[in-house]
Amino acid sequence: MERLLGDLKPGERAIIERIEGGGALRRRMMDMGIVPGVELEVVRCAPFGGPLQIRLKGYYLAMRRGECAKIKISETYRVNETYPGYIQHPLASR
Amino acid sequence: MKIALVGNPNVGKSTVFNALTGSNQQVGNWAGKTVERKSGLIKRANQQIELIDLPGTYSLTAYSQEEIITREYILREKPDVVMAMIDASNIERNLYLVLQIMELSPRVVIGLNMMDLAQSAGITINTTQLALALNVPVVEIVAAKGKGIEEFLTEAIRVGMLELDPLQGEVSYPEELEQRIRAMEGQLADNAEVTRYPLRWLALKRLERDPEIGQEWKSSTPKSRNSKNKDACCDPGDAVNYELVETVALPGDELLQTYEAEGWGKDQFEMAFADAKYKYISQILPSFRTHENPSKPTWTDLLDKWVLSPIWGYPIMFLVLGIVFWGSFVASAPIGGAVSQGMAWAADVIVSILQWGHAPDFLQSLVRDGIFAGVGAVLAFVPQIAIFFAFFSFMQDSGYLARAAFLGDRFMQLMGLHGKSFFSLVSGFGCNVPGIMATRTLEDPKDRLITMLINPLIPCVPRLGVMSAVVAAFFPGSRGSVVMVSLLLLSMILVMFSALFFRRVVKQTERSAFVMELPLYHIPTLRNILLPTWQKTYSFLRRAWTFILVASIVVWVLSSYPQGVSMNATWAAKMGGWLSFIGEPLGFDWRIMVAIVFGFTAKETTLSTLGILYGVAANASQSIAQAMTGAMTPLRAYTFLVVYMLYIPCLASVVTTYKESGSLGWTSFGVAYNLILSFVMGWIVFHGGLALGFQ
Repeated sequence: MERLLGDLKPGERAIIERIEGGGALRRRMMDMGIVPGVELEVVRCAPFGGPLQIRLKGYYLAMRRGECAKIKISETYRVNETYPGYIQHPLASR
Repeated sequence: MKIALVGNPNVGKSTVFNALTGSNQQVGNWAGKTVERKSGLIKRANQQIELIDLPGTYSLTAYSQEEIITREYILREKPDVVMAMIDASNIERNLYLVLQIMELSPRVVIGLNMMDLAQSAGITINTTQLALALNVPVVEIVAAKGKGIEEFLTEAIRVGMLELDPLQGEVSYPEELEQRIRAMEGQLADNAEVTRYPLRWLALKRLERDPEIGQEWKSSTPKSRNSKNKDACCDPGDAVNYELVETVALPGDELLQTYEAEGWGKDQFEMAFADAKYKYISQILPSFRTHENPSKPTWTDLLDKWVLSPIWGYPIMFLVLGIVFWGSFVASAPIGGAVSQGMAWAADVIVSILQWGHAPDFLQSLVRDGIFAGVGAVLAFVPQIAIFFAFFSFMQDSGYLARAAFLGDRFMQLMGLHGKSFFSLVSGFGCNVPGIMATRTLEDPKDRLITMLINPLIPCVPRLGVMSAVVAAFFPGSRGSVVMVSLLLLSMILVMFSALFFRRVVKQTERSAFVMELPLYHIPTLRNILLPTWQKTYSFLRRAWTFILVASIVVWVLSSYPQGVSMNATWAAKMGGWLSFIGEPLGFDWRIMVAIVFGFTAKETTLSTLGILYGVAANASQSIAQAMTGAMTPLRAYTFLVVYMLYIPCLASVVTTYKESGSLGWTSFGVAYNLILSFVMGWIVFHGGLALGFQ
């Protein structure tokens, strides 16, 4: 099943697969480095369904859920809290 | 020599610009836009250099006003050298812009800033390797400490003096793209446009179907420059305007159609070029960057854990806003008081000189009660504005403002606004003038306009002061706080309603996106705070003073003629009398209407006007409000409060709206909207109250 960036929980990482829609919004995302193949991590969500804080390419970005829903992702995995360098794949942990 | 300073937002461009130009700065607006235009003349090595600080931008595609300006400048003015500043801690995204600039401009010098920030995050950058990878000179700078800035400029001048354009590195596009670019280059190679822009850039833009290529623009100096006085208040800026001379049809249409058929349309090319640039960056990245312990939390991570936390984020934000409010609007009160005392003292001195010269009475009164009293009332809140801007610059530079927008975005979304509107609206509680000016951080001009128009509905500190005095007189005890809260709730509801309403009125082609960088925290330099504070305050004064002076004189004439009569026989009182047909359905007598008319210059004068009209000798606001209780029922007082809270805040805010929106139409629309809304709400409250049996 296809997953969207908005589905990720804080601490989860994923690779961007595709960006839906076009026009100014997609251009803006491209300018900020959101292109297919880039890895990003959802750091936290603002309360009450507010925007998401995302880390990519070593910097932070705030994006609304509506915009996150335009980004299709693949390969989600969780950052291991005790060993941050070690990537834990969800399937492997099961 | 023309040198342009370009870079991402928050990269430290203004620090470098300020260090290089010092006080030789010209600050204005870009023609027709409310984006600051900063340029400066410097002399180095027998060269007269015009250095221009272009607005911070993430790319050269047109998205926000800032990006359009930067792109147009490089395209049309063709600076001799581009000084591109990049942030070492965030080099990947910064290089994306640099690659775009390198494709368009043959002479580029890179200034690598924020090495200290990068080092604390475990990033080291090999400057020589970076210069080798891009084939562009790189200068390391620590802008905040003033290190390397002069070397950066020297390098730019050296590159600018070269006989031939240096050979700069090129992005290597994947084969299937490269073929198509080459084919397009072949079509364009004989075109005259090639003499103006690099061939590769033209080919790329042609494939992206950029509408601007092939257009020739002529710069023209706006006429208002000659007649400076005419437009002293709201000049559109001292920048040049552009006129479209002609559009050249470029070859390659057939090729574009062939590609379209192959599935390579405008969007595909745009995406592929962006993708290729990022891929290219990640390819060359390992040669000059090492990142140790990428998962080690940085200062920003640690601070954000608290600042953006779901539990602590809002209390911290209220604390920060509290400090800003206290500092700008409470602690500054003695300074404001001193200013008005100084003005009163100066008025006395001038009046005594006039008396000594046997000047006529009306002249003395004009100076004391007209000019000095009116201008003094506005000058008294200049310290507030200045201190507010100092805080504002600090929050913007340190990175907190973006965090506040992040936290406030959810509430702004309810109104269809951007998170950055949040700060402007909150500032409105202090004073609407800086609130309206703070909309400059909004990228989308429509969002900016809407935020500007709803800002006056938020009661500012002076209005809240008058309101609480009236509330205390009419609704003693705990009822008072209930009434006050109900008024504030009403204003919130109307702000929300109006935002949604304006969203329908203001035409917007595309909904703005909320894709905002959360920059790393850093401590701004003192100069970076004080200089913009001074520039903003000065430009406010320079542009507003004529209006305020004229308005003060008009109000003085209306309220003191015919000479020698009591206040209720003056022209202003007569105006109030004519207007009482508007006030009558709301239960207002002519006195209230007069006070409303006078409140236009500054709302805090309303109480003293009412005091004079009700014949109260005392000056204290409490006793004036007490006197009103005899003449009004609580319901009427409540209606008055509603109208008072909502109608045009003051002259200064109207002038600021005009200046910031650049449109007389929208300013009048805002004024009319406020007036109509306030009286309609007053009518509803009054008649609703009567129907419910209140008195």
